[in-house]
Amino acid sequence: MTSATEFKGMAVAPGQQGTFPRRQGVQARARRLGWGLLAPALILLLVMTVLPTIYLVYFAFRHENLLGSGSHFVGFLNFQRVLTDPTVWWDLLSTLQFVVISVSLELGLGLLLALMLNKRLPETNLVTALFILPLGVAPVVSALVFRVLLDPAYGWVDFYLQSWGIIDQPIDFFGDPVWAWVAVIALDVWQWTPFCALILLAGLQGVPAEPKEAAMLDGASNLRLFWHIVLPLLRPFLAIALVLRAIEAFKTFASIFVLTGGGPGNSTEVINLDLYRVALQDFDIGAASALGICFLLVLAVVMQQLLNVLGRNTDILED
Amino acid sequence: MTIDGSNKAIGRRSAVKAGAAILGGAVAGSAPWSLRHARAASAKPSRLTMLYATSEADSDAIKAALPDFKSIFGMDLVLDTMPYDALQQKAFAELASGSSYYDIMIVDTPWMPALTDKILPITDMILDPSVSNAAQLNLSDFIPKVFFDTAVYKRRQSYLHWPGQQVMDAAAIKKGGFEIYGLPIQANVATLAYRADMFSDAATQKAFQARTGKVLAVPETWDDFTTVAEFFTRPRKRLWGTTMMAGAGDWATDDFKTLLASFGGDGHLVNDQFQPVFDSPQGIQALSYYVDLIAKKRVTPPGTTSASWDTAATAFGSGLAAMSINYHSETLNPMVKGSIAYGMVPKKVQYGPHFGTWMLSVNSYSKNKEWAYQAIEWFTSKPVQVKALATQLHPTRRSVYDVAMQDAGLTQRFANFYEVLGKSLEVGVGRPRLTNYADVDRAVWIAVNDAARQAEKPDVALRKAAMQVKKLLVQAGYKPA
Repeated sequence: MTSATEFKGMAVAPGQQGTFPRRQGVQARARRLGWGLLAPALILLLVMTVLPTIYLVYFAFRHENLLGSGSHFVGFLNFQRVLTDPTVWWDLLSTLQFVVISVSLELGLGLLLALMLNKRLPETNLVTALFILPLGVAPVVSALVFRVLLDPAYGWVDFYLQSWGIIDQPIDFFGDPVWAWVAVIALDVWQWTPFCALILLAGLQGVPAEPKEAAMLDGASNLRLFWHIVLPLLRPFLAIALVLRAIEAFKTFASIFVLTGGGPGNSTEVINLDLYRVALQDFDIGAASALGICFLLVLAVVMQQLLNVLGRNTDILED
Repeated sequence: MTIDGSNKAIGRRSAVKAGAAILGGAVAGSAPWSLRHARAASAKPSRLTMLYATSEADSDAIKAALPDFKSIFGMDLVLDTMPYDALQQKAFAELASGSSYYDIMIVDTPWMPALTDKILPITDMILDPSVSNAAQLNLSDFIPKVFFDTAVYKRRQSYLHWPGQQVMDAAAIKKGGFEIYGLPIQANVATLAYRADMFSDAATQKAFQARTGKVLAVPETWDDFTTVAEFFTRPRKRLWGTTMMAGAGDWATDDFKTLLASFGGDGHLVNDQFQPVFDSPQGIQALSYYVDLIAKKRVTPPGTTSASWDTAATAFGSGLAAMSINYHSETLNPMVKGSIAYGMVPKKVQYGPHFGTWMLSVNSYSKNKEWAYQAIEWFTSKPVQVKALATQLHPTRRSVYDVAMQDAGLTQRFANFYEVLGKSLEVGVGRPRLTNYADVDRAVWIAVNDAARQAEKPDVALRKAAMQVKKLLVQAGYKPA
C-alpha cells in the first residue's frame, strides 16, 4: 500500500487534481479503521501490561508502607538491597539449575514417549490418554500428593523401597537438599513430560515417509535413520517445546512452595519464592518490585536466546 | 463521641434514628441488648462480616456460636474463613486498601506490629459504659500474659511490650500511652502430649524401671525427656520417643524458642532494643540439645528435619511417637488404640513454652465499629468460650479454664488438656514485636533446620542467623541500641 508521504512527494498531472484529496480521504479512513481495529488489543495491552510495568518501575524506586505512613522515594536502594543479597544470587542460580535440568529431562523423556506413542499400535490411544493425565492435575494437588508419597514416616515410596530391600533407612526426601531437588524435579518431569511428548508426537506424525524410505533403501540403520532424518525434521518442534517449557518452568511456584517450601534450609528456594515472600509475606512492595525487574531483565536475556533458537529452527518449516 | 474516638458531634439524623430505636426497643421489649446499648442500635446494620482463620483458631467454635449471635444481636454474622497464608494476605490487602468490607478481623500476634495504624484501638470503647458491657467484658478475667502479649500495643512504637504491671486496667493502659487493639480469642501454646496408655502400662513401667532405675513419669526436665524418649524409641516397631518440628518453617523457630527460654535464654529472640539474643550460650546449648535428640540420639521419627506442626501431629496421631510437643490440638487416629494426656513442656532452668494468641479486632475502616466491638466482646466472653470448649477452643480466660477442669465430660474427652494449657499459658513466651518478623523468623528457622540436619554446627548456624537478623532489623528501619 502506498503511504501518505509518498503521495506528498508526487507530481500532480493536469486533470488529476480532484482525485488526490479523495484518495487522501480514503487513506485517512483506512488509517482510522486500522487504529480502530487495533484499539481494543492496544488498550488491553496498555492496561494489562504497560501500565502495571510502569507502576512496577515506580514502586521499585520507593519504600512503600502499605499499612501506614512513611512511603518515600529511595532511589536505587531497593536494587542495591536485592543485588547485594547473596541469597538472591544463590536463588537465581537455583532457578536456572531447576529450569535447565527439568526441561532437559522433559524433552528427552518426552521424545522417547513420543517415539513410543508414534508406533500406531491399537493401545496407542489409551496409552496416550493415560500419559496426558498428569497435565490435567493442578500443580498444587500434584505437590500435595507427592508430599504424602515421599513422606519418610508414612509415605509409600520409602515404604516400598524398604519392603523390597532396596534401602535400609528411609530416605528423608525433604530433609536433604539433593533429595529435595530430586523430588522437585521429579514432580515437574512427571507433570510436564506429556506436554513435550504431545508436541513432539505431532512433529513425528508430520515427518514425511519418502526420505525415510529412501534412507532405508540405502541401508541406513534405525539409529542412523533417526539421527539423520527424523531428528533434523523434528528440530522445529523440539525448539517450540523447549521455549514453551522454559517459559513455564521459570514461572514455577506452587509445586515448590507446597512440596518443600524452599527447604531444607533455603536449598530449594527459587526466585519466585523470594518474590512471594518479599511481596506477600513481608509486604515490602519496593524491594519486591526491584527484585521483579531484575528477574525480568535476566529472563529477557534468556528468552531472547531461546527465541533465537526457535527462529533458527523454525526456518525449516518455512522452507 | 463517635465510634472511632473522634470528637464529631452526633448528627441530627443519627439522634432521631437513635431515639426511634430506643422507643422501638422499649416497645418491643424483646431485645435487651438493643436497650442496653441504645446508641449502637441507632445504626444497627443488617449484618456484620468477620474474617477468620480456618483451622489455626478453631473456626468451628465461631460457627457453632452463630445461631446464638443471631438471636441475641438480631442480625447475621457473615463468616469468611481462610487458611493461614491466604488469611494474612487477605487481611493485609483489605486493610491496605482501606476496605470496609470486614467489620471484624482475626489477627495473629506477629502481624500486629505492622497493623497499629489499621486496626482500631478499642480502649475508648472499653472505657465507655454506653458501649461496653463491663460485666460481660470482665477484662481482668483474661490471662494477663496472653492479654498483654496479644492486644496491648503502643501505636507509634509498635515494637514495645507493655512495661508496667500486668493488671488489666484499660484506663491505666491508656494513661501509659498504650492501646488495646482487640480481645484474645484463641491461645495457642506448646504443650507436651503423651500416650497415656503407654505410660500407664504396667509392663512398660517395669521395663523402664529396670532399664533406667527410675519410675516412668511424664518428664519435667529435658534430661528426663531424653531418658523417656530414648526408652520408647524402637524403630523396628515403628515407634519413636517424640516428635519435633525441625522442618523449614515457623514451627522450627517455635521449637527453638521454647528450648531457648527453658534453658534460661530470652525466648523472644530479639529484645526491645533490637538486639538478637538467641546466639547466646543458652541458645547454643538449647540448639545443641535439639540437634542431639534428632540427629544423634535419633529419638524422633524419620522426616523430622522436614516436619511441620501439621506433619508432627499426624505422626503422633498415627502412633509413631510416644510424646509430642505441639501447640495445636492432638488427636489419635482411630486405628491407634490408645489415649492421650498432657504435661508441661519440660524445662532446664525454667518453663518457657512458645505461645501465640489470636485476637478479634475491629477494622478501622468498618462502618459498624460499635457493633463490631460489641460482637467481639460477646464472642470472647466467658459463656461463649465455655460453649466453645466442646470444639476444643483454646480459651483466653482464666474462669473458662476453671469451668473446663471441673467438667467431667470434657476431662473424659480431652483428659487434662485444659489444665496443662492454662498452666502453660501463664508462663508462655511470645514473639518479638517487629514489622519484619517474617524475615527474622525465617533466618532463625533456617539456622535451626541447618543445625538439625547437621549442615551447620549449632553455634555457627546461630551466629550466622544473628548476623542476618541484625542486617534485617537495620533494613526494616530499626536502630539497634
